[in-house]
Amino acid sequence: MKPDSTRGRLSILWGVISAACVVLGLRLAQLQILDAAYYRDAAERNRSQIIYQTAPRGRFYDRHGEVLAENRGAFTLIFLPGKNRVRRDLEPLARELGRQLGQDPGDLLVTLEQAERDQSAARLAENLPPATAFRLWELKTIYPGIVLIEEARRYYPYGRFASHLLGYMGKMSPREWRNFKARGYRADQRIGKMGLEALFEDDLRGRDGGRRMEVDAQGRIKRELENIPWEAGSNVYLTLDAAVQRAADEGLRESVTGRGAAVAIDPRNGDILAMSSQPDFDPNALLSVDAKTGRPSAGIPEFNNAIAGTYPPGSTFKPIVGLAAFAKGASPDEEYFCPGYYQLGNRRFKCWVHKGHGRVGWFKGLEESCDVYFYNLGLKTGGAEIERYERMFGLGERTNISLRGEKSGHRFGPRQRGKEGKGWYDGDTLNLSIGQGELTVTPLQMAVVTAALANRGQVWRPHFTRRIVYADGRPDFVQHPELSARIDATPRAWDLVQRAMEIVVSSGTGKSARVPGLVVAGKTGTAQNAGGKDHAWFIVYAGRPGEPAKIAVAVLVANGGHGGVSAAPVARRMILARFGLADAQDARAPRPAAPGARPAPPPEILPAGAIR
Amino acid sequence: MSQARAQPGLSGRVDWTFVAAVLGLVTLGTIAMLSAASTTMFYQSILRKHFIALALGLSLFTLTLAFNYQIFQDQSKPLYAVAVALMASVLVLGRSARGHRAWLRLAGFSFQPAELARVLVVLVLADFLDRRARRVGEFPTLLAALAIAAPILALILKQPDFSTALTFLPTITGMLFCAGADMFQMLFVFGYGALALSVPLVVTFCQVRFPYSPPMSLPGLVLSASRFGWPLLAAMVLLAALSAAAWLAAAWLRLSARPLAFIAAPVIVSLAMLTGVAVNRSMKSYQRNRFVAFVAPRSDVQGAAYNVIQSRVAIGSGGLWGQGLFSGTQSQLGFLPERHTDFIFADIGEEMGFWGAGLVLGLYTLLFWRIVAAARQARDRYGYLVCCGLASMFAFVVVLNVGMCVGLMPVAGIPLPLISYGGSSLVVNLFSLGIVANVYARRYALL
Repeated sequence: MKPDSTRGRLSILWGVISAACVVLGLRLAQLQILDAAYYRDAAERNRSQIIYQTAPRGRFYDRHGEVLAENRGAFTLIFLPGKNRVRRDLEPLARELGRQLGQDPGDLLVTLEQAERDQSAARLAENLPPATAFRLWELKTIYPGIVLIEEARRYYPYGRFASHLLGYMGKMSPREWRNFKARGYRADQRIGKMGLEALFEDDLRGRDGGRRMEVDAQGRIKRELENIPWEAGSNVYLTLDAAVQRAADEGLRESVTGRGAAVAIDPRNGDILAMSSQPDFDPNALLSVDAKTGRPSAGIPEFNNAIAGTYPPGSTFKPIVGLAAFAKGASPDEEYFCPGYYQLGNRRFKCWVHKGHGRVGWFKGLEESCDVYFYNLGLKTGGAEIERYERMFGLGERTNISLRGEKSGHRFGPRQRGKEGKGWYDGDTLNLSIGQGELTVTPLQMAVVTAALANRGQVWRPHFTRRIVYADGRPDFVQHPELSARIDATPRAWDLVQRAMEIVVSSGTGKSARVPGLVVAGKTGTAQNAGGKDHAWFIVYAGRPGEPAKIAVAVLVANGGHGGVSAAPVARRMILARFGLADAQDARAPRPAAPGARPAPPPEILPAGAIR
Repeated sequence: MSQARAQPGLSGRVDWTFVAAVLGLVTLGTIAMLSAASTTMFYQSILRKHFIALALGLSLFTLTLAFNYQIFQDQSKPLYAVAVALMASVLVLGRSARGHRAWLRLAGFSFQPAELARVLVVLVLADFLDRRARRVGEFPTLLAALAIAAPILALILKQPDFSTALTFLPTITGMLFCAGADMFQMLFVFGYGALALSVPLVVTFCQVRFPYSPPMSLPGLVLSASRFGWPLLAAMVLLAALSAAAWLAAAWLRLSARPLAFIAAPVIVSLAMLTGVAVNRSMKSYQRNRFVAFVAPRSDVQGAAYNVIQSRVAIGSGGLWGQGLFSGTQSQLGFLPERHTDFIFADIGEEMGFWGAGLVLGLYTLLFWRIVAAARQARDRYGYLVCCGLASMFAFVVVLNVGMCVGLMPVAGIPLPLISYGGSSLVVNLFSLGIVANVYARRYALL
């Protein structure tokens, strides 16, 4: 028989074995009971992949309910990573996709590998045409991990239309990504890059939906686990009048140079009816990606002339000079002789009509825009007084329209000069009297000025929002008119200025803006431009007889020459559009249907669920 | 028992608890395999092979009961010859799969002889240690026992199948220990082995955790000493000096210590270091990756460590009640590798939860307990040693496999006995457990 010592050793062996089993049992309890939640999460992450679907962005409507920006369904190609896949497995896929999409297979491979490393879905191509989408559909069966989804893409039904105001959608720059990451954005999302799209980004974006798919270790989709519906963004109702906007866009585009800006404001409340800047762009083109380069197929002129372009106002400033003079007590009947120039010391200040206007009073002075008359009027009023009116009209200050890139222009007068540490001379007063010198304004500022001239002194803070209807049920945001200043002038001064501006249109330099049946009052301007041809200005307001004016317009055609020739016709088109009149139509005739019938509603976005 | 006394049949002496544990494990294994293999391409073929092997194994289990186990002791020499011949023929005739030449084709079936050789080595060693019972405490006996296993081990390493070879060491250790070998000698021999093995582990650890360590820091010294060269020699000289100093200190303190220890210790340690460095140099990259995966599981998620992490996630996500058969996402969607073979325990953990995995672990513990009981009650020293060897072998393999699945042990490509899919493994394991049942049933020497 065995010696006793071996029995003891057997017990030790058994002790070791049972101890090991106990350790394993404890470890099992740790994994499966204590840490079960953690590992369940890990397993859940393993097997499920979320494919995000961009939510329909809030729409933009004009004041009559026309859709200015909406959404359409579009195919997006998604790649789902697998487990343990290496470069060799991905190469054939990259080659095939490169062929189908016309992209560089090397770049695609980099994207695919990145997705594998991060274990997250990657967007390979967006906004695919249906033909490509169906060809790719067949690849799904060959290459695991390829998924096509349909999602909402921004669509601008009018294309080139208020493009600087509405803005466009684009991919985030690395800097923007750093800011937006914290706000719950994903790296492949697009954001509003400009104008209202950028301004209302938070309201418009909505909440993206997603489809949680069960995938196997190869990235093959097994089934759908969950469908998280998207929430559409909030709709924004604008003060814009699509017809006026279209008239501004087209008018400027067809003007002599095709460059410039036009702004229309409702003088009764400061609603912006139109804001156009040319050259413009088609925001839809920025959404489709160039097949060759993978970059947006169009470069864009980002510069918004209407708020960022500063020009001397030229003669369009003359009504303000007149208003200042009459408010101070000048007489409209006082006449000055215009020989074609004004002699100040040994300097000669020319009138734009070199042979002279002869004897000129207020009405003739504004009607024919006689510079010499305004030199005299200006000297009599004084630079400081004119500058006071500049300030009241808001020149030299931003209108605070809350669009990115707005410029303030430059105020010009003795006080401003004093601030800059320089003196003020009579020659400066002469230049100021005809809107030249260091005075610069934006077309938006001039539209606000025009509106104030039309409504006798109410300077509105211009705005483009009427209402925001929040998708989450918060009470609507409603924009109320905001008065930023009130011009202090006598009723007689207003009468004189307005009457003279009416004459400008009815028989003076602004004749080409005349609309029978409407009271149209305006002023042309030709801003001297040291670097090239003069800029053409025209400011105008119009209303039905006996009613307050319904539209105030400022048009600038860059290098357009004389304002009455190149800018006034653009303004006229806008006025016609505002009153619903066809060209050459009398305002007294019955009102026809609004031009530009509403486009057919776009196809509804298919509900998420197209992937099988 | 009354029936057994009246009619001294075999049935009354069979350890039914043991049989129940075996059948329970085989049943649970079959269920788990049905679920885990259901997503593989050869499901039908796997099922067919499994049930054929199961039938064969259970018949062998029963058949082994029919004759006296002592026949294995009588036929010890032929058995040893069979073992060596099998392993040699594998190298000559065998088929390669996954870089191992480990398979023999026999009448249409693939057969992995290393498993059988392991059991045969247990039988042969038991005979040897039984006959050397009086001199078991002598060092030559220890070396001779190792020498008996050495040729087969060498042939297995030649395949190369590092993992299977690894399972021999605790088996032999367990047998020597239970046979009553001298602890001091064993400490030296196995200390040498353990040290030699730990060198690659420590080196890999330093490489992974401190890749850019300066040369004079501790990891830097370890790395420079892991190559044949001056630093290694210096380390060995330092060891000798330390040992001499310790001996002088012991003499000065008038401590009674065996002088042999002060010579043997540095020699053994130096030899172990040399062997370790040699092993470290000859390690294949996939073998090193397993060490890396064990030492730093997060360093390379897509590579070797992937298996370890996915296995742990599978077990953990099973929770208390499991996700249900055929519904474990980790195994059914293919995230868990080797889910019906080496990592089947993870599948059980995921689909049957803590209760299922705990039941398997409990049944194994029961099994070990009954094997130890068989050893304790064996009527002769041979039966006792066979049971000790098999207990050590099964316990080690199970602990290694389960430990690997729960992330406590490095990844070793060894199956879970009685549960993993694998025909030859199942048949051989049932056969060897049949011997255990045989030893227990014949404990009173009446049959």
